[in-house]
Amino acid sequence: MDAIEVTDLRKTYGDTHAVDGVTFTVRTGETFGIVGHNGAGKTTTVECLIGLKRPDAGTVRVLGEDPARRRRALAQRIGAQLQESSLPERIKVAEALRMFATFYREAADWRQVMERWSLRPLARKAFGDLSGGQKQRLMLALALVGDPEVVVLDELTTGLDPIARRETWRLVDDLKAVGTTVVLVSHYFDETEALCDRVAVFARGRVVAMGTPDDIIARTGTASLEEAYFALEGADR
Amino acid sequence: MKAFTALAATELRLLFRDPASLFFMMAFPLMLLVLKRGDSGAVPGYVAMVVAIGGMGALPGIVASYRERKVLKRLAVTPISPVLLLGAQLVAQVAAGLAGSVLLVVAAIALFGAKAPGNVLLLAVAFLLCSVMVCSLGFVIAAVVRNTRGASLIGMLVMFPMIFLAGAAVPRTALPESLRRIGDFLPLTQGVEALGDAWSGTAAAFPLLILTGIIVAATAVAAALFRWE
Repeated sequence: MDAIEVTDLRKTYGDTHAVDGVTFTVRTGETFGIVGHNGAGKTTTVECLIGLKRPDAGTVRVLGEDPARRRRALAQRIGAQLQESSLPERIKVAEALRMFATFYREAADWRQVMERWSLRPLARKAFGDLSGGQKQRLMLALALVGDPEVVVLDELTTGLDPIARRETWRLVDDLKAVGTTVVLVSHYFDETEALCDRVAVFARGRVVAMGTPDDIIARTGTASLEEAYFALEGADR
Repeated sequence: MKAFTALAATELRLLFRDPASLFFMMAFPLMLLVLKRGDSGAVPGYVAMVVAIGGMGALPGIVASYRERKVLKRLAVTPISPVLLLGAQLVAQVAAGLAGSVLLVVAAIALFGAKAPGNVLLLAVAFLLCSVMVCSLGFVIAAVVRNTRGASLIGMLVMFPMIFLAGAAVPRTALPESLRRIGDFLPLTQGVEALGDAWSGTAAAFPLLILTGIIVAATAVAAALFRWE
């Protein structure tokens, strides 16, 4: 069964076709990448998946439900890490995890989540005092505290130093290992290539290629997903 | 309910972790009381001042920062509504105001031998209405002013003149006639009146009704104008 089905999704802001007819499916248990440059329509697509935006046209089904109508119910089963979202400066790590756990009917044990994501030593640290990598690790843990079936990660490693990035990759690999469906949105091609089972390459609000990273690279006769992207982007223009 | 309790408890802890809130809502009114040599006539006004500092001085900046820093947006992708966070902030401000006020009243009675309040039940009602009223004005400011710095600044600019002109920080009888007139039109004046009446035991329904009206109107305006992003 597919965890996510998106058919001919369209969303326009004024004259800009942010998302211009996007179709893709995400299979249960796979790690699916949405990759492309800033402004390619990635975040708008993701916001339609989690019910923050209502599509102008097309259908979106997540776990069989329409996120625009059933946001609250779906939120019990989806974890999201949003671009640039944050917490109150003075909230402590353990406090945030404990608080978020109360939002869900069937939450994971927040102490275990804290342990598993190596946040225990930071338990009493305030959000505002965390480093960029530590903040990101906490936001990721908060996305998982509801024990979700689908996790959406938007620009997971933007602004992180290389060590923190690699560390975060390892955490996503852990998620894959337990069978969680992951949607990973990124403008880093190396990251998508390393982590994703399949990838949708976005350019100007459309999907210009879809498949395993190896497929896309082979089809374009290039050496990396990044090179493939530029080949596709150029051909699409 | 479990989620709301957790949110409100967290918001209250966050307020107590903020040195500025702690000072202005707990220590500052006590300092004024000492300067006034424990004049119990000033206490109801100081109670109004304590809640105004929280509801208009602090709340708009806090709420605007939750929007600007995408805390509200993060909550919007959980099963709870971000409205609950605003409700939790309200409860926390009322609770912090209550803590500061109780401290002040106890100090006035225990240290300076002030007469105990005439009508405690009415005082509680007046406190609750006054406290919720200033918060509702704070939400209007947070709804109208988009960024954190702007909302904090406007909150302060509204709060400071109001606590002086409404008779909260200084008695209105000490003000020149023209300034006293302005006070007649300020929402906080009704709060000071209601608290003063309850303290002296002369119950009057009028200020309580006006406070209720302001709460309803301000909440409607804030709800209509509030931007979540």
